Amino acid sequence: MSSHGPDAALRDLGEAAIATARALGAQQVAVSAALERETDVQWRDGGIEKLLQATSRSLSLDLYVDGRYASVATSDLRPTAVQRFVADAVALTRTLAPDPCRRLPEPELWPQGPAVDLGLEDPTCDARTARQRRDDAEALEAAARAVPGAARILAVTATVSDSAHASWRLHSDGFAGHRRSTAFWLACEVSVQDPDGRRPEESHAVAHRLQERLPAAAAVGALAAGRALARIGSRKGTSEVLTVVVDPRAAGRCVGILLGALSAAALQQKRSFLDGRTGQVVGSPLLHVADDPLVVHGLGSRHFDGEGLAARRLPLFEAGVLRSWYVDTYYGRKLDLAPTTGRASNLAWRLGTDDCTALTRNVAEGVLVTSFLGGNANATTGDFSLGIQGFRIRAGALAEPVAEMNVAGNQLELWPRLAAVGSDPYPYSALRTPTLVFDAVAVAGV
Amino acid sequence: MSGFAHFASFGVTPDLVRAALHEALCHGGESADVFVQSRVNTTLALEDGEVNRAYASVDAGLGVRVVRGDQQGYGYTEDFSEQAVRRAAQTAAAIAEGPARPGPVALTSGPLPDRYRTLRPWEDVAALDRLPVLRQLNAAVLAADPRIVKCSVTFRDESSTVLIVDGQGRVAFDRQPMTVVGVTCVAEHSGRRESNSANVAGRAGFEFYTPDRLERVARQAVERTLILFDAAQPPAGEMPVVLGAGSSGILLHEAIGHGLEADFNRKNISIYSDKMGKAIAQPLVTIVDDATLAGARGSINVDDEGNAAGRTVLVDRGVLVGYLHDGISARHYGVQPTGNGRRESFRHLPMPRMRATYMEAGPHDPAEIIASVARGIYCETFANGQVQIGAGDFTFFVKNGWLIEGGKLTRPIKDVNLIGNGPRVLEQVDMVGTDLAIDEGGWTCGKDGQSVPVSQGMPTVRVRGMTVGGRAA
Repeated sequence: MSSHGPDAALRDLGEAAIATARALGAQQVAVSAALERETDVQWRDGGIEKLLQATSRSLSLDLYVDGRYASVATSDLRPTAVQRFVADAVALTRTLAPDPCRRLPEPELWPQGPAVDLGLEDPTCDARTARQRRDDAEALEAAARAVPGAARILAVTATVSDSAHASWRLHSDGFAGHRRSTAFWLACEVSVQDPDGRRPEESHAVAHRLQERLPAAAAVGALAAGRALARIGSRKGTSEVLTVVVDPRAAGRCVGILLGALSAAALQQKRSFLDGRTGQVVGSPLLHVADDPLVVHGLGSRHFDGEGLAARRLPLFEAGVLRSWYVDTYYGRKLDLAPTTGRASNLAWRLGTDDCTALTRNVAEGVLVTSFLGGNANATTGDFSLGIQGFRIRAGALAEPVAEMNVAGNQLELWPRLAAVGSDPYPYSALRTPTLVFDAVAVAGV
Repeated sequence: MSGFAHFASFGVTPDLVRAALHEALCHGGESADVFVQSRVNTTLALEDGEVNRAYASVDAGLGVRVVRGDQQGYGYTEDFSEQAVRRAAQTAAAIAEGPARPGPVALTSGPLPDRYRTLRPWEDVAALDRLPVLRQLNAAVLAADPRIVKCSVTFRDESSTVLIVDGQGRVAFDRQPMTVVGVTCVAEHSGRRESNSANVAGRAGFEFYTPDRLERVARQAVERTLILFDAAQPPAGEMPVVLGAGSSGILLHEAIGHGLEADFNRKNISIYSDKMGKAIAQPLVTIVDDATLAGARGSINVDDEGNAAGRTVLVDRGVLVGYLHDGISARHYGVQPTGNGRRESFRHLPMPRMRATYMEAGPHDPAEIIASVARGIYCETFANGQVQIGAGDFTFFVKNGWLIEGGKLTRPIKDVNLIGNGPRVLEQVDMVGTDLAIDEGGWTCGKDGQSVPVSQGMPTVRVRGMTVGGRAA
């Protein structure tokens, strides 16, 4: 997708779909036409195990017909098929109840002025060769097998993938948004033999918009193997109330359960424990985070959201005070709230000065959580219960690995106990979580 | 029914498929297959009293796979032109290096079972006919109790047709209907709010939604929500756990089902890799994975590699006797495929996946099982689960349940994660009830980024000890 040819064809496809839908009776139409090229190489124990490559096109439409709304998508892009599909979709829309809150976003919400360069596209993406992907995969495995203790490694699976995306979002009232992006991934999963018969597995994965900015494959493989070997000998600890340190990779899960309650849809449907708390303190002063769609090279970065709304920084929590919600235009109209955006982009945290290792040193008795296993959170009440594994902390040092344990509580009690925030945001997720330290959390085990 | 008549319904011809297989096998691949799928999906949703949104999709495409040993190459396209199909085949062929093999000369097709006969297929059901179902559910929920303040309903149906042709020219064609109705409600009481949901799913047509079934899903959503006002998160720690009949099969899915998927075992990375033929549970435990249950969400007439799908015994009276196989693992172990090679769509490679996983009924009276526990919990409804294949640690999340004190259900509990180690927990299953039930819920299993519909079932069962992730006592 290096030339402008395919993107022009995408725009033509979208424009034609809008014309078709309008001719069939839709007063307003929004279209997304996308082209996605993906290559995935999975490598295991000395050879390629899976190779997948494809270019995929899709067309989706939001239809507004006589005050009614439907959202539809098709992969069959032959003109006669699109014509038939849109006719069926318009007929489907007409069977619904009218909904006065459904209409295209007002033009004042569109991006204004020229777009800044977010650095989302690597122009060298198409030049990447099968040989380069294979070399990366081989290097991931070799590095994993070169760490001390590697004799206990049972299997190494390496994944090398890249994808390129091009799309147009077009509205019948004139909005036109173009997007091109690339993403590169390296991942390594390592299984090891525990003398007790278990075969614990761990992994490391990295991503970047630009291929040259990915960490070296060797470093990724070595970290994955080190993590897996550190799981050997894990056991279940006792049930007690402890300081819980959550490392940057795992901390995304903690924040995920918080964001789940921050949508206007949850608010309007009375399914958010944060209802009525705007402007109030819901966390410790260290809970200070914004949604920031304009991070250069960000995995969640964008100029406009899924509705075409201009991207802008959105303060979520400031010094523990709930500031804003994720409000799309539909639920915004229902709640009489100004729309912000319906969809999270990147998170930007107010960072501390110490990384995970340094923060762990300050903990007398605690647990370092390196991953969560299952569990869930109730957005209506704030209750949560999540499986954990990691390491016991004693006198500021990492002690034995622990597994098969759990943390539980209510988020309205959890976030006020946020005692420290790390200096180390996790760069391989749009959530960009730093280390989070919570005091006095109920940890279940034996 | 002959598969050949169906090529035209996808806009492909037998010649095009033969050409794809020929192209696929021209670089040294040992075997190849073509998977063609067309899927039409309609979802209607009710919120705040009105059916005021619909989602619909048409997804059709063709995937070509080339296999060499345990290596697989895959390409797919949504464009059925000869050029695009050949390109997908060439992509897949790149996995292998070697001399060409001949593609199939003749295409042959055998009969398939008929496990999801539909009286009213979705393509014949008008949207207007579906609307009363959503409205009735909404009315039933709101009328059930004045504390209910919100109700939302979704009604999803799908018609999928698949055509699988392998390198020997074997053809399989299947129509795979699916439907799910879900109800979520929110209640307010004394300044507190609680919400919960219930759903019902099956491979069926519109006839699935009998008054009884709809009444049940509405009642379950309301009851499961209202009881939460009296419920608390239970104490934390290890204790006996009684699993109610039905959706408790989630324990089997996580504790053993994934670990017996043969891809993990041939790679030697499952905690069950060295346990074949060994006793892993008490003799009262028999566990099966079954494709044959009439109309069940996890049932299939044929798997996504074209292999026959039947009833697979995994644990027979406590002894591990079988894995879940796809074609590659079956060749690796020198056994017949079990019909567990499934994929999310034409965009994905098949791999061993569960269908309907359950434990056979045992000798114990369910009431006796509850009465046997001095202090523990009883689990009734579930949200989700997860497992680590190699370490064996698994979890499942309990939405509703009860505290058991002195052999009696005393206080409702809610929102608690249970965590255990697969083989250790199976060893601790020491009572199995007579009341096997297959759950009708809309369960979806995720593995390696692919989702497939599954079912699960269980009789009432006692586990001597598991970690309950509640709050400190």
